[in-house]
Amino acid sequence: MPEQMADTPPNRAASTVDEKQFALEQERFQRGVRMATPFISVAIAVLVGSLVILASGKDPVAAFSAMFFGAFGGARQIGETLLRATPLVFTGLAVAYGFRSGLFNIGAEGQLFLGGLAAAFMGVALGGLSWMLSVPLILLSAMIAGAAWAFIPALMKAKLGAHEVITTMMFTYIGRYLVSWIVTGPFKAEGAIPQSPMIPASSQLPRISDVFTFIQPNRAHFGILIGVVAAIVVWWILKYTVLGYEARAVGFNPTAAETGGISVAATTIKSLCISGALAGLAGATEVMGVHYRLFDQFSSGFGFTGIAVALLAKNNPLGVVAAAILFGSLSAGAGTMQLEAGVSQKVISIIQGTIIFLVGAETIVSWAVSRVRRARGGADV
Amino acid sequence: MFSEVVTPELFASAVRLATPIALAAIGGAVCERSGVVNIAMEGLMLISAFAGVAAALLFGNAWIGVFVAVLASVLFSAIHAWASINLRADQVISGTAINILALGVTGFLMETIFGHPGTTDTVKTIKPLMDLPAGGGGVLGTIWQWVDVVFLSYTPLVYVGMFSAVFLTWAMYRTRWGLRLRALGEHPRAADTVGINVLRGRWVAVLISGFMAGLAGANLTLEQVGSFTENMTNGRGFIALAANIFGRWTPGGAYMASLLFGFADALQLKLQLFSDVIKIPPQFFLMLPYILTVIVLAGVVGRAVAPASVGKPYKEKG
Repeated sequence: MPEQMADTPPNRAASTVDEKQFALEQERFQRGVRMATPFISVAIAVLVGSLVILASGKDPVAAFSAMFFGAFGGARQIGETLLRATPLVFTGLAVAYGFRSGLFNIGAEGQLFLGGLAAAFMGVALGGLSWMLSVPLILLSAMIAGAAWAFIPALMKAKLGAHEVITTMMFTYIGRYLVSWIVTGPFKAEGAIPQSPMIPASSQLPRISDVFTFIQPNRAHFGILIGVVAAIVVWWILKYTVLGYEARAVGFNPTAAETGGISVAATTIKSLCISGALAGLAGATEVMGVHYRLFDQFSSGFGFTGIAVALLAKNNPLGVVAAAILFGSLSAGAGTMQLEAGVSQKVISIIQGTIIFLVGAETIVSWAVSRVRRARGGADV
Repeated sequence: MFSEVVTPELFASAVRLATPIALAAIGGAVCERSGVVNIAMEGLMLISAFAGVAAALLFGNAWIGVFVAVLASVLFSAIHAWASINLRADQVISGTAINILALGVTGFLMETIFGHPGTTDTVKTIKPLMDLPAGGGGVLGTIWQWVDVVFLSYTPLVYVGMFSAVFLTWAMYRTRWGLRLRALGEHPRAADTVGINVLRGRWVAVLISGFMAGLAGANLTLEQVGSFTENMTNGRGFIALAANIFGRWTPGGAYMASLLFGFADALQLKLQLFSDVIKIPPQFFLMLPYILTVIVLAGVVGRAVAPASVGKPYKEKG
C-alpha cells in the first residue's frame, strides 16, 4: 500500500531494506544448501561409514579405496557397477514417481518380485518368438504385473485413505511368499534347487560387451540402456503430459488439485500403478539380464535401496540414473572391500540409511551447515 | 482334527506371538496420539532384538540383555524424535531411514562380533514367571489346565504387555498427562496456547514408543527365540502400526488387535503341522498375517479416525 509506505519514517524504511536484503540473502543461502544437500549428505554418510569402520578396528581409507577399485578399477568392475545400478534405476524411478505425486511406495520390492515372476513366466512361454517380439512383450507383462501388485494398495489409499506404507509393505511380504511358492511348486525347474526353468536366449537381455565386442568382456547388460530410456520417458511424462501434471499437482497440494478439477483418487491410483510398473521392470531386467531364471532370493532389497536412490536424486528422473550408479558402485565395491580390507559389506546399508536420513530430512543438513557457519562466526544468526 | 487344533496351547501361543506386536503397537498408539508417526518401530525392534542377545551373551544374564535392548531402542528413537520434532523432518522418511540403518547396524555388528552373517549364538531364554503343577483328571483338572496354560504360563514380558495395555489406557484417558498427550496430536497449537510444551510432550511420547519397541525386541529374542537372525522382525513393526490403527489409537485396542494377529500366526503354525491333511503349501499359511493386515485395514480405515495432527511437524511461534 503506497499510503502506508509514505507514513513510514525514513529510518524505518532503511531498516526494512536491510531486512529485505538479509531475508534475500538467507533465502539464497537456504536454496544453495538445498541444491548441495545430496552432495553434503553423501559426504557425511561416507564419514559416518568411516567412523563405523574405524570403531570396528579396521582402516577406513583402505576400505574405501578397495571399494573404489572394486567399483571403477577396470572394464570388468565398471560393468559390475552398471549391472548393480540397473535394477536401482527402475526402483529409483518407481519411488521417485510415487513421491512426485505424494505417495510413498515403500513396497517397490514386492512389485519387483511380481515383475520378475511375469518375466520368467513369459520368457519361457514366448520361447519360440524372435527377440524383437518377445523382449518388448516380456517387459510389458512385467510392467502390468508390477502395476497389478500396486493396484489394491492404490485403491485402498484412494477410496479409504489406508496408508500406502503399510499396505504396499504387506504386499511385499505376500509377493515374496507367492514367488517362493511358485518356484518350489507349479513353476519349478527339474532338480533339487527351488528355481524356475531357464528362459531361452531369445528372451534374454544380452551383455553389452557380447554385442559390441570392442568393449572388454563384462557383465553389464542392455537393461541399463532400457533404464536410461525409462528415465527419459518418466521425465517427459512428468514435465510435458497431463498425466504427469496431474500427478505433480496432487503431490504438491491435493486440496488445491481437487478444487482445480483434478480427481485426487484417480490420480493416486494411476500414479501408484505407474510406480508399480516401473518397479516391475526392475524384476524383469534382473531375470532377463542377470539370472535368466527366477528364484526366491533374486532381489537383494533393490526396492528399498530405490528409496535412497529416489531421495538422493531429489525425485528427478535423470538424477535417478546418477544416484543409481552411485549406489551400484557401493554394492559392486562392497565385495572387494570385504575381501581386501576385511570390513563387512553391511556397512553400505549404514551409509544408505544415513543418506536417506540426511536427504529425506533435508532440514538436518541445513541445520548442520548453519551450525558450522555459526561456529566459524559466519553471518547466519 | 478340531480337538487337535483347538487346544489351550493354541491360545497360549496366540498370546505369546501377539506380545511383540502388542508391545510395539501400544507404544505406537502413545506416539501417534502425540502427533508423531513412528514407522521406525520395525527397525527399533530389530536393533533391540540384536542388542538384547549380544548383551545377554556378553554378561551371561538375560535381564541385562533386556535392559540393553530397551536402552538401544530408546537411543535410536531419540534420533527419530530429534529429526521429526526439533528439525521438523518428514516423519515417514526419518522412520524409513532408521529401518534401513537398523538392517545395516545389526548386520554389521553381527559380522563384526560373531564373525559371520545369519544367526547369532543361542542364549538361555527367560523362564515363565510361574511354574504351576498340572491339574488332576476330571472336569476340574481340564478347567485348571486351560486356566494354567492360557493365563498363567507366560514369561514376564508377556505380562508386562498386558499390564501396559491396561495402565497406558488408564493413563491416556484418566490422567492429566493423557489429556495433554491427546491434545498434542489433535490440535498442538491450542495445546501450546494453554501452556503445554508441545515439543517436550512429543519427545516423551516418542521415547515411550522406543521403550516399548525395545521390550518387543527383547521379548522376541530373549523370551521366544533365544537367538538373533538378520531381519527376524519380518514386518512385525508394520503389523504393529496396523494393529494400532485397528485398535483406534488406544493402548487397549492395540493390544486386542495384536491378539488377532497373534491368533492368525498361531493358527497358521498349528495348521502347518497338518499339511498331510490340508493340502495347502506352507507359503500360503505364512502369508496369512500379512493378508489379514490388509483385510483389517480395508475394513476399518476410514471409519476409525486418526489424531487430526498426526504426521505434521509443529513449529513453535517465536
